[in-house]
Amino acid sequence: MNDVLLLARTHILTALRERVTLFWFLVFPVFLLVILSLIFGQIGQQGEITFDVSLVNFDASTTSVFSGMIEGVFENLAQSDTADEEPLFALRHPEADEDLASFLAAELTAVRRGRRAAVIVIPEGFGHEIERRVVSSGAPGGSSSTDDLPLTLYYSEGNAASNMAVSIIKQVLAGVNREILARSGRFDRTIAIEASSTWVGSESGGTVYVDFLLPGIILMGFFTNSLFGIPGAILFSRDQRVLRRYWVTPLSVPRYLGGLSIGHLALCALQFGILLVVGRFGLGSTVSFASLSAALHLLLAAATFMAFGFLIASLAQTANAGMAVANILNMPMMFLSGLFFPITGLPVFIRAIVYVNPVTYLADGLRAAVGVESGVFPTALVIAVPLGWIALSTGVASWRLRWDVAR
Amino acid sequence: MKAFRALLRTESAVFLRDKTTVFFTLLFPLIFILIFGFLMGDVDEPAATLGLYEAVSSDLVLHDVLTSSAADAIETFEDEASLRGAVIDREIDFGLIWDGETLGFLYHPNRVQENYAFEQIALGITDAFNLRAQGLDPVLPTTTIHVGSEASTRWFNQMVPGIIAFSILSSGLFAVSGHLTAMKERRMLDRMIVTPMPRVALLCATATVRLVVVYASTLITLFVSIAIFDLAFRIDWFAYTLLVGCATLGMMGLGTVIALVVRRPSSAGNVANVLAILMMFLSGIYFPIEFMPRFLRTLSLALPLRHLAEAMRFVTGVSDMSPLRFWAIVLSLLALGVVLFPVLARYVVRPARR
Amino acid sequence: MGDSTLMRVTDLTKHYGDVRAVDGVSFAVPNAAVFTLLGPNGAGKTTTLEILEGIREADAGEIEIFGARLRHVDRATKQRMGVLLQEGNFEPYLKAREVITLFASFFRNARPVDEMLERVALTEKANTYVKHLSGGQKQRLAIGAALVNSPELVFLDEPTTGLDPQARRNVWSVVADLKSTGVAIVLTTHYMEEAEALSDLVCIMDNGKLIAEGSPRELAARLNQETIIEFAADGVQDDDLVPLHACCAAVRSGEDLVSVETENLVATMGSLLEWSKERDLPLANMTVRQPNLEDVFLSLTGRRLRE
Repeated sequence: MNDVLLLARTHILTALRERVTLFWFLVFPVFLLVILSLIFGQIGQQGEITFDVSLVNFDASTTSVFSGMIEGVFENLAQSDTADEEPLFALRHPEADEDLASFLAAELTAVRRGRRAAVIVIPEGFGHEIERRVVSSGAPGGSSSTDDLPLTLYYSEGNAASNMAVSIIKQVLAGVNREILARSGRFDRTIAIEASSTWVGSESGGTVYVDFLLPGIILMGFFTNSLFGIPGAILFSRDQRVLRRYWVTPLSVPRYLGGLSIGHLALCALQFGILLVVGRFGLGSTVSFASLSAALHLLLAAATFMAFGFLIASLAQTANAGMAVANILNMPMMFLSGLFFPITGLPVFIRAIVYVNPVTYLADGLRAAVGVESGVFPTALVIAVPLGWIALSTGVASWRLRWDVAR
Repeated sequence: MKAFRALLRTESAVFLRDKTTVFFTLLFPLIFILIFGFLMGDVDEPAATLGLYEAVSSDLVLHDVLTSSAADAIETFEDEASLRGAVIDREIDFGLIWDGETLGFLYHPNRVQENYAFEQIALGITDAFNLRAQGLDPVLPTTTIHVGSEASTRWFNQMVPGIIAFSILSSGLFAVSGHLTAMKERRMLDRMIVTPMPRVALLCATATVRLVVVYASTLITLFVSIAIFDLAFRIDWFAYTLLVGCATLGMMGLGTVIALVVRRPSSAGNVANVLAILMMFLSGIYFPIEFMPRFLRTLSLALPLRHLAEAMRFVTGVSDMSPLRFWAIVLSLLALGVVLFPVLARYVVRPARR
Repeated sequence: MGDSTLMRVTDLTKHYGDVRAVDGVSFAVPNAAVFTLLGPNGAGKTTTLEILEGIREADAGEIEIFGARLRHVDRATKQRMGVLLQEGNFEPYLKAREVITLFASFFRNARPVDEMLERVALTEKANTYVKHLSGGQKQRLAIGAALVNSPELVFLDEPTTGLDPQARRNVWSVVADLKSTGVAIVLTTHYMEEAEALSDLVCIMDNGKLIAEGSPRELAARLNQETIIEFAADGVQDDDLVPLHACCAAVRSGEDLVSVETENLVATMGSLLEWSKERDLPLANMTVRQPNLEDVFLSLTGRRLRE
């Protein structure tokens, strides 16, 4: 037993002492966890973002109050309420004597180049248009006429910030809409209909993104650790004739594998621990892995990936070939699994990959086990497919894996 | 010149015979394109299906509002339980319960990236319903106009130039911190240096092979994207070729910096790999930069890949850039490569330390 | 099998297709002796050794180790054996001490780690990573790992290749120590001086066959000469050598040396001096020496030990 434990220790130490391995195995998953949380955790939380927006009012010299009112609303939003909170918009408008048309042209170029999120253009005569509509609002035939003078929002569709800015502006305008109708006595706020939002399926409210992400990153960590670490350890040791020095002693292959497996699982546990600490104390995740179900799912995942690593090792002739295969499989298996992106609406042959991919089931099962999601796949499948992969991988590997370099 | 031609032949042969490198340089970007192309297929056109359950008698105004809302399809349900179940099972995207007093919207807690869009639709429905319920029409007509090329409307269209930019970065980087440093580590460089071979000839040969390979790789990537995903590009071939050439040289320059700083030649490749991956995430290729915290957005400005990706979008007609900025980027990349070229010749291409 | 024979090999055969890498080789290794397998590259030494070390399987033949008849060397036997492979490595990021500790755990009985480190003079480097050890230090570490179980039978495959003279001498003294404690050592080398200095018994192999066996002195005695005279071959033509055959037992001309073998040194010297005056050929760089294993090999196969 001592030899098995010492081999496990060897595997752990050599992984931790090699700076490159340490980076990919520890630093990279943590980095990914933090970055993705920061980025996607922001969507929907506009707290930190100020949108660069410009407003051109061609209707400034009108007798109607409405255009000025709209402009005023946006100017308000461009002031910060408190000292340390950022305003929603950074608003730009033309200078006192600046030509509006050329200002507009310059701003449109800025939007196209991604420097401005949106441009709000109030057309000439808009104020009167509003007045007309207030009067005729609700009349049969609607209030739209053939010469519509809409307020125009220029934006860049492929730009995420631009899209969000437009949504917000539309909300603001909807509010102004109601305000105008209310002030003119036509809209009765007291009977306004309220809307509510609730989450379905989990009692404790909506999922914080990091809760959704953490199980996925943990699995990703296990996956890359196994995909690269196992073939790396076996193939490089074999090619460098490190293994041969073992085989001239009484050490048997099964005991070597035992040591390697234990060491590998210990590394996975270390990864898990670090990611959990970062997720919980660094990013505020409340997901709990403390259930038997979660522990079993983690173990199943680690075992499946480890077996898969042996499979890869057995398919490659040299260490470099093994690493190349690992690199090729890494991205597709990680991304075509629902780990990071929803897997709905994919073409058939891509869906085939998703359904064959063990990561898909392991991710689903783990998320269900920690209560983040109720699980898309039936439990039987979630256990059976990974077990099937373990069987397949172990079978092929024990048949094909060579333990000494060819002579 | 003779040495250059001979080295050119050798470097080409070495490259072509190493199937792994050929695969990774020419075909690896395609894997990304294929995966993300299929994954992101409908990100831009999210088909939002709303499920409706009315606890009270059917409200025609509500139906009217719903049909003209931004939701693509409306499904009605007989009871609340089946509506909730449909949301959980993702058969519908979000749900609505109308009890005569409140519009109760239901969301799936895990669809974090998509729920924002659904919430916007919900808000629109609420506003419209409120007005219509009191017999009113909106008084602020609004229209939105997309500014820019048709190509820039699809996020995947923007991603492809970014992926190409990344492949240029890694090819150029690894030409030095990878290929040349490996030769150094294996002492092969030593054997060449003790001959009268001019070091510049070796570098020119390496650079030439890389330029050709990278250019071919970017073209393959472009054509595959167009063929499979029907993307729209409007390529300015002169600017494109110039950008690819200068970027490759510039990235070789960056590789030189790494090779200078890192002590052991064998580590240079690993450091280059790490830097490339870090840059990949922070350059706005896979995730929009706009939503990163401010310090990351600022950091992103210092990354060559960020500017290279944006320049690539410009030359492929996907997004716009001021010509001044474009030339600044191109010339900086060229300068990075050219200035570091003699440094490369003198300090990197030299015998490995024993 | 008598008490003193630790290993006996009978008609060992291994072929690869038509090639017979090991062709019916038989020998016996006594304890407290150094048994050397000598031969040029491709002779079959390493193949033979790998079969005996248990990492290759013989096609035919019998192996008897520690009194047990085996077809293939099994793990029980390996408990009492120590092996130093010709080519091999340790995990680069293990410390020297950790390597010995690891290998010690593979055996039922092992010496304390510190004792082994001291025996191979690596105590100072105990906490150094393998990666940072010099070639000689790595070899010493490998020897330490090979001896950690106090083996009764030790295989040393080219133990001093690439080592500096001091390191080589260290290894020789380790071998002498082992021998004095009764261990049987199977050695391969292509250094003739090493074979002569260390061996009790030498087996010369060529093309998979055993072509000679005996102690170094016995083998040299076969040559029927007492002395070999060598001089530079510059300017010496083949027909110049013709008259020399009359006075000497054998005349061989190589690329740079002419060597003349004789039983009667004085007479031959005289003839050579006359010959050199007649032909006006200087006997440049002349040496006079005793026959060695290289000469034995040369006479048996017509080739040199080191090609």
